[in-house]
Amino acid sequence: MEKTPDFIKKRTWNKVLNYIASSDEIPPYLLIDKEVVKEKISTIGRNIRNSRVFYAVKANPDIEVLRLLNVLGAGFEIASEGELQILASLGVNPERIITSNPIKTLKFLEKAVPYGIRYFAYDSTAEVEKLARYAPGSNVYVRLSVPNEGSEWPLSRKFGVELEEAAELLLYARKKDLQPVGITFHVGSQCNNVYNWDSAIEKAKELWETVEQSGIRLTTLNIGGGYPIHYTKNVLDVETIEKKIDRAIGKKFARFAPDIEVFIEPGRAVVGDAGVFVSTVIGKARRGDENWLYIDVGVFNGLMESIGGIKYVYIVGSRNEPEKWTIAGPSCDSFDVIDRDVELPEPEVGNRILILSSGAYTISYASEFNGFSIPKTILI
Amino acid sequence: MIKFFEKDPYAPIQYVYEIERVLYKGKSDFQEIMVIENPYFGKMLILDGVVQITERDEFFYHEMLTHVLMHAHPNPRNVVVIGGGDGGAVREVLKHDTVEKVYFIEIDEKVIDVSKKFFPAVAAQVDNKRVEIHCMDGAEFVKGRNGDIDVIVVDSTDIVGFAKSLFTVEFFKSVKDSLSPEGMFVTLSESLHFHKDMVIEVQEAMKLIFPVVDLYTAPLVTYAGNWWTFSAGSKKHDLRQMRREYRIDTRYYNDEIHQQAFLPPKMYEKLMQRKLQW
Repeated sequence: MEKTPDFIKKRTWNKVLNYIASSDEIPPYLLIDKEVVKEKISTIGRNIRNSRVFYAVKANPDIEVLRLLNVLGAGFEIASEGELQILASLGVNPERIITSNPIKTLKFLEKAVPYGIRYFAYDSTAEVEKLARYAPGSNVYVRLSVPNEGSEWPLSRKFGVELEEAAELLLYARKKDLQPVGITFHVGSQCNNVYNWDSAIEKAKELWETVEQSGIRLTTLNIGGGYPIHYTKNVLDVETIEKKIDRAIGKKFARFAPDIEVFIEPGRAVVGDAGVFVSTVIGKARRGDENWLYIDVGVFNGLMESIGGIKYVYIVGSRNEPEKWTIAGPSCDSFDVIDRDVELPEPEVGNRILILSSGAYTISYASEFNGFSIPKTILI
Repeated sequence: MIKFFEKDPYAPIQYVYEIERVLYKGKSDFQEIMVIENPYFGKMLILDGVVQITERDEFFYHEMLTHVLMHAHPNPRNVVVIGGGDGGAVREVLKHDTVEKVYFIEIDEKVIDVSKKFFPAVAAQVDNKRVEIHCMDGAEFVKGRNGDIDVIVVDSTDIVGFAKSLFTVEFFKSVKDSLSPEGMFVTLSESLHFHKDMVIEVQEAMKLIFPVVDLYTAPLVTYAGNWWTFSAGSKKHDLRQMRREYRIDTRYYNDEIHQQAFLPPKMYEKLMQRKLQW
């Protein structure tokens, strides 16, 4: 029998069904519940004093999503001229845009600086030189590497430096007439370990104290993203995480507190829960002792994160008994397998299959590999 | 005399029938089938412990399930009956000489066999050459059609389900797609006494898909709650208006009943606004 998990709001579920019922839109498409986005963006940051929220545009750069967030007064974190172009078309004030990618393209800087963006992350001397030349005088913050244990999507060593080097980079930025304003870190995406923030904040405080001795008084503590959402497992809620973060900052930064501005960069936590993919069963097969289900959204056109270990919840409108299924996407590539051992009542070919919590890092990763088009995003 | 206690899990009332004789007891792939004889109702068909039809009153249900739409439609030629393995709905549909074909979709072949044997008057038209029997899931059957069906009658309490779900949404959508531009659809939708909220949910789910949705009722003595509803959807025509002359032979339904069976408009509005207080 069809089962609807209780973590999806009744209101969202109703909107999704109403949309499927009354629309002639042909799946696959991604539905985003505006109310959920609204609720998330107003919750995040509420429990951290002196904080500002910058939505990580890469999570879902759909123009309608950005339009909604802009109206709701959110800030934006971007990394490319493409993302900037969408924000520019919406007339977003540059004061509300920051850039936390430590390595930026020249093309991007050539657009970002005239637009008025003033906050940039970095973690190398080469980047200081680049910023000094193309974004002179701008506010810069250094990316500190911090523990990623317990996050479902630990970030590699691609970015971030240790304390000593971070301090040197802040001094070097000052020397190059940039404004060293603070630090940023990332505890890892989908992080359910609240101690990661605690140890990251501790590390940040040490840096604060080190550079203070050289006369640099930092003000910006960018705690990045990483707030987890419910896929198949229960996670800490934002309120709990933020209260711990706020307490940690209050305690460790007591001496600097009044001057500290906390930046938060949630992506997944804003749009993930709000999204439901509407897909179609395109085939079934029994291979050995495995049941295979083929659907029209796969690794390449929306569910890329399944490869990194994200497990989604699926719903089919079938009244059969549950069985175990391997779920695969539509392309010819054998890499295009989304999930295994998924309990589902057997659907028929042509039935809809819904994929919950799929609003973040889905469409933004999608390609047209093998000629399968990128699903549309529709706000409901 | 031994008694039959009905096991309707959703009714706040329990009916008990005297059994003169148990005529049949068996199990199909889908359900338990039983035929008993009662001194008042005559033979009774019971599926999974719930009374489906009785010889004495089945016409109330079968006439009201079919003839309202068959008269609201200007020219019903292709008709689909989903469920209703007893054959009663098929018999009523074939009273209309416009009908060229009845697709009779019953997943449980055994119910048809039992009905032929014990309810020959109900299953009378099952072997009519205008009838095409498909033993399959009704939801699957309608999915394969494209716009050539004039009337779809769902004679089954479980196909629609009584909560809005992905299943019902997909089912209603494929029903709509299988219907001709003047097509119509009807399903039994619970008692107005006991399950008002379910009636509203079915109506709401249908309104998302059909431009015209309406509700009529009939007094059904052996269904818990008695005052039962039929939810009907139409792609074009209003269902309260008859578009064909009443010329068939019936015992309850007629042109007068067609007019009074629908919920009065103000009462309907109150129902849908959840303002009927009982």
